[in-house]
Amino acid sequence: MDLLPQLLLAGIVIGSIYALAALGFVLIYKSSRVINFAHGQIIATGAFIAFALTQRGLNFWLAGLIAMLATFLLGMLIERVFLRRMVGEPIIAVIMVTIGLSSVIDGLIHLTPYGAGSFSFQTPAVLSGQGIEVFGTPLSRTQIAGVLAALGLLGAFTYFFNKSTLGITMRAVADDQMAAMSVGTSVERVFALAWAAAGLTAAAAGVILGLMSGLTLGGLAGIGLKVFPVVILGGLDSVIGAIVGGMLIGILENLSAGYLDAIVPGGGTREVFPFIVLIAVLLIRPYGLFGTKEIERV
Amino acid sequence: MPASRFTQTGNYRTRYAQDQTIFATSAEQLSLIVLVLVLLALPLLLPKTLLRDVNLIMIYAVAVIGLNVTTGYTGLINIGQAAFMGVGAYATALAATRLNLPFFVAIPLGGVAAALIGTFVGLPSLRLKYLYLAVATLAFQIIFEWTVGHLPLLQQGGAISLPAVQVFGIRDTFLNHNRFWYYLILPVLVLMALLWRNVLRTKYGRALIAVRDNDRAAAAMGIHPGVAKLTAFLLGSFYAGVAGGLFAYFQKAVVIEDYGLHISVQLLAMAIVGGLGSLPGAFLGPLFIVALDRGMEVLSQWLGGQNLFPEGVDVATALRPLAFGLTIVLFLMFEPRGLANWWRLSRMYFKKWPYKF
Repeated sequence: MDLLPQLLLAGIVIGSIYALAALGFVLIYKSSRVINFAHGQIIATGAFIAFALTQRGLNFWLAGLIAMLATFLLGMLIERVFLRRMVGEPIIAVIMVTIGLSSVIDGLIHLTPYGAGSFSFQTPAVLSGQGIEVFGTPLSRTQIAGVLAALGLLGAFTYFFNKSTLGITMRAVADDQMAAMSVGTSVERVFALAWAAAGLTAAAAGVILGLMSGLTLGGLAGIGLKVFPVVILGGLDSVIGAIVGGMLIGILENLSAGYLDAIVPGGGTREVFPFIVLIAVLLIRPYGLFGTKEIERV
Repeated sequence: MPASRFTQTGNYRTRYAQDQTIFATSAEQLSLIVLVLVLLALPLLLPKTLLRDVNLIMIYAVAVIGLNVTTGYTGLINIGQAAFMGVGAYATALAATRLNLPFFVAIPLGGVAAALIGTFVGLPSLRLKYLYLAVATLAFQIIFEWTVGHLPLLQQGGAISLPAVQVFGIRDTFLNHNRFWYYLILPVLVLMALLWRNVLRTKYGRALIAVRDNDRAAAAMGIHPGVAKLTAFLLGSFYAGVAGGLFAYFQKAVVIEDYGLHISVQLLAMAIVGGLGSLPGAFLGPLFIVALDRGMEVLSQWLGGQNLFPEGVDVATALRPLAFGLTIVLFLMFEPRGLANWWRLSRMYFKKWPYKF
C-alpha cells in the first residue's frame, strides 16, 4: 500500500466536505459581502438535528432531508432577524454579529443533550457493506457516498447559478446591487435565499461529516474555521474556487500530515498547515485562485 | 476663564493653549481626585473574590486599550489580540524563569516581544484591507496556539509557573495576592491609558484616525497609511504584551488556554460593548463582560438547582456563551457606539441639568 495515493484519496474525501462547507460561505459572501463566522455552528446544528431525528427512529435519509430543510429555514431566519439590520454598517460590526451568533448557537446546542458528548450515526444498511479499492487504497462506502453527495450538490449549485433564472439573478445582485435593484430585482429576497442555500449545504456537510467521523460539537463547528483557508485559496466570491480550494486544502493537509508529521516534533501539522497556506496566499495572491481582483492596495 | 470654575457654562476658550487643556473646570479635576482616592481604597472595601475579578478587569482593560488602538482607532480588525497577549505572557515567563529577571523588567520585555511580533503580523496590512486582514490575524492566532502546543521550551502549552514577587519588602503571598497585584496593576493601567491618551493628541495618533476614516484621503494629506497601520499594530500588540505579562504573574502561571481564540473574541466583544474607539469604553467593556460572565455563573447555579433541564445538560456551559453572544449581537444592533455612549449621555445630562439640551 503506497502512501501517496492513500493521502491523496483521503485528501479528496475530506476536501469535498470542506468544499461543501466553503460553498455555503461563498454563497453568503458573494451575494451580501458578509463573512459568516457562524457557519461552523450552522453545520453542527444541521448534523445534530439529523442525529436527533434518527434517534427518534426516523429513517436516516429522511432525517437528513428534514435537517437540510430546517437549516434552510434557519439561514433565512438569521438573515431576516439579524443581518438585514446590518446592511451598510461597518465591516467589523457585521463580522462581530456573526461571531456573536456563533456563540449564541453554541449556547443553544449546549442546552440540548448533544452539546458536550460525542455521538455517531447508525450507518444505514446501504452504506455499511464492503467498500471498494482505488489505486490499492481501500475506501469505505460511507466515504464514497460522502464524496459523491458533496460533488453532486456542488454540481447542482454550479448548474443552478449558470442556467436557472434565479441563479442568474443572484449573480446579478452579487455583481452590482444597485444595477440589479434598478432592473427590478428584489435584493432582499436574494440575500435571504443565499443564507437559506448556505444553510442547506451546511446541513449536508454536517450530516456527511457526522457519518464519516462522528458527531461532536467541537469537531463540527471547527469546520467553520477550516473554511477560511479554503475560501482564501479559492477566492472569496467564487463557487468554482470553493470546490477547487476545498479539494486542494484537503489534499495539502493530508500531505503535510503524511510527510511533515515525522519531521515536526509532536506532529499534528494537519491542523496548522492550512493556515500557513492561508498566510502565504494572502501575501502572494490575496484574491485567491478564482476570486475577483478587487483588493485595494494601500 | 469660564465664568464659574466649577461648571462649564459655555466655550470660553480663546487660545489654542486653552483648547489643549485636559481639564475644563475645577469640578473635573476634583472628580478625578475623588476617583483616584476611591480606586486606592477599593481593595480595603471589596471582598477578596470580587477583588480578583477587578484585577482581571484591569488586565483585560490594558489589552482592550491596545485592541482599540488597532481596531477602534485605526480600523484594522484584529482577531488575534489574545495571541499577542500570549506572546507577552510567554516572553515574560521565559525572562522571569530562564533569565531570572525581576518582574519590572520582565513585563515590559513581554510588551516589547509582543510589539515586535505584532508588527511582523501586521505586515500584510501594507497590502490588504478589511476582512483579509481579519483573516490574517485569525490565522496568526491559530498558528500561535499550535506552535506553543508543540514547543518543549514552553511546556507544550502546559503550565509554566512564575516566581513570587517582592516589592518594597512586601512579598506576594497566598493571603495578600489579590490586593498585592491590585496595587501593581492599577498604576500600570493608569500609565498605559495616559500614554495612549497622549499619543492620541499627537500627529501620529491623529494619523491613525485619519487612516481609519479614509485611507486614501489620509494618503493625499501626506500620511503614509502603511506606516500608520504598522504603528497601530506595534502599539496595540505592545499593550497586549504588557497585559499578558501582568496576567501571567497574576495567575502565577502561563497556560495556553488563557490565550486562545475565545479570549480574542472576548476582547473584541469587550471593545465593542464598551464602544470602539473610546478610552472610557476600554474600561466599561471589560467591566460589563466580566460581570456578565459572573452573573451567568450565579444564575446557572441557581437554575441548576431547580431541575428545569434534562439530565446531562450543563447549564453553565450553555448560558455563558448564549448570554455572551446575545450581548454582542444586541449591542451591535441597538447601541453600536457601546457603553461609552451611555457614559457620554449621562455626563451630558448632569452637565445640562435642569435643562434638557
